[in-house]
Amino acid sequence: MTDTAVQASGLTKRYGAFTAVDGVDFTIEPNRIYGLLGRNGAGKTTIMQMLTGQLFPDDGTLQVFGREPAEHADVLRKLCFIAESQRYPDMFTAADVFAAAPWFHENWDEAFATRLIADFRLPAKRRIKKLSRGQLSAVGVIVGLASRAPLTFFDEPYLGLDAVARHIFYDRLLEDYAENPRTIVLSTHLIDEVANLLEHVILIDQGRIILDRDAEEVRGSASTVAGPTAAIEAFVADRPVIGRQTLGGLASVTIDGRLDPADRQRAAELGLELAPVSLQQLIIHLTGDDLAASSEGEEAA
Amino acid sequence: MTTAVAPPTTRTETRSRAHEIWRIVRLHSINPSVFFGIPAIILAGAWAVVMVIGLIAQGAGATPADLENMRYSWAVISPQWYLVVVGVQAVGLTFSFALGFGATRRDFWLGTAVMFVLVSVLFAAVIATLVQIEIATGGWGLGVHMFDALWYGQTNWFVDFYTAFALEMLVLFIGAAVTTIYMRWRIPGMLIITAAFTAVLLGGIAWATLTSSWAAIFEWFGALGLVGGFSLVLAIAVLCGVGGYIVIRRATPR
Repeated sequence: MTDTAVQASGLTKRYGAFTAVDGVDFTIEPNRIYGLLGRNGAGKTTIMQMLTGQLFPDDGTLQVFGREPAEHADVLRKLCFIAESQRYPDMFTAADVFAAAPWFHENWDEAFATRLIADFRLPAKRRIKKLSRGQLSAVGVIVGLASRAPLTFFDEPYLGLDAVARHIFYDRLLEDYAENPRTIVLSTHLIDEVANLLEHVILIDQGRIILDRDAEEVRGSASTVAGPTAAIEAFVADRPVIGRQTLGGLASVTIDGRLDPADRQRAAELGLELAPVSLQQLIIHLTGDDLAASSEGEEAA
Repeated sequence: MTTAVAPPTTRTETRSRAHEIWRIVRLHSINPSVFFGIPAIILAGAWAVVMVIGLIAQGAGATPADLENMRYSWAVISPQWYLVVVGVQAVGLTFSFALGFGATRRDFWLGTAVMFVLVSVLFAAVIATLVQIEIATGGWGLGVHMFDALWYGQTNWFVDFYTAFALEMLVLFIGAAVTTIYMRWRIPGMLIITAAFTAVLLGGIAWATLTSSWAAIFEWFGALGLVGGFSLVLAIAVLCGVGGYIVIRRATPR
């Protein structure tokens, strides 16, 4: 059970002169929940499309369950990926999608799907093209959950979902994951919504991985210190600064790395306030344009 | 349980591919109106129009001999145009969906081809049988020609079946094969293939005209006969099927 689910190295996808995914290396371990995070156009969907054999990489090697995924039915049958922009046959209803699902996903749980349709109040008999954005997301979420594929991708699952539906997704995913462990990859730019679900974070920006860490580690990995500019400068002197805001004589600086008790004491002596950095804030710091230079130091090994 | 993570072996398929291919056929027929219902409605609509024309003609005192000209009506092939669109959508939309559900391109194309053959067999059998009924009932009692028209109804059921089958195959596979080019190379691919096709066509016309070969070409087509001509049609359909298979193996969904 220690076999990796996904092993990618130097994975690259180009569209003409534009490099959508630029030589990324990562592994996905089985039975964990991964967050594939990044801004719009960062390359998240492209990576998932390569992982599921929908796109052919231009360079690098990619193994999913030990093989290249594209055109290998024995790999593809273990995957489930409903893209955010998934196209459906004309005239298809959500019920048609769920009727076809068990032919392609051998672990499909009909009862679970029925329960989810009710939970999300999805009008299953309505044509897919008549569904709202949120209802369309619900179709993808239901397929992703009820298929129980060993490697399941959720592409922007929260898009258009209302607060209740987001909560249902969160609960059902955790419940079902506990009973049926599997590898889950969630791609989203709505980071705060999923932050608590994730066990591992892979952050993509402009086709490159800029963070690939355990989520627990990421959560405590940065802090914000606020106070008078002079005191701040003294405190952060030799620390890696990943964000800086100033207002008059006050500054708020985000630093990478954990603070030990001695640091905390020193900060208190200088009259500085310490605050934890949420996953979302950290990612804004890491992918914000003005900080592009400092993100180089974050390059994942 | 879903925890079975396969060991990284290089094992090939252990199960029959028939299941993988058949599920594509099921996917195409999940909404039976696309392949069966709408063509049937188009055909029935055309038949209704033909019947009304027959009634009007009868009211005006036309004889069955007068109605012989209805042999040139294209009513019998009215569903063909729609079936080109079905071929286009089978690849344009269902392909993306099947890939999303984890089908391979190979299985998708083979399953689609099986579907096309089944649909063509069914339609050809229906048309060939309706030709015989129309002849037996004297043009539905009105002397009209809808199915017993064009090249149909000249010989026997089997020839009608064969020619209808070849035509159905051609329209479905042309629509699907051209769409595979779009799915693989998008607009540039479509432009190049259109330009190449036009160039070949113009080159052929130029060659035939400059060498005064038109008479010989028509003679060659004439010598093919009905069955021979439709064998050519079927051959083009098969060529589209093989070409589509080669192209779709590296195609990517939108």
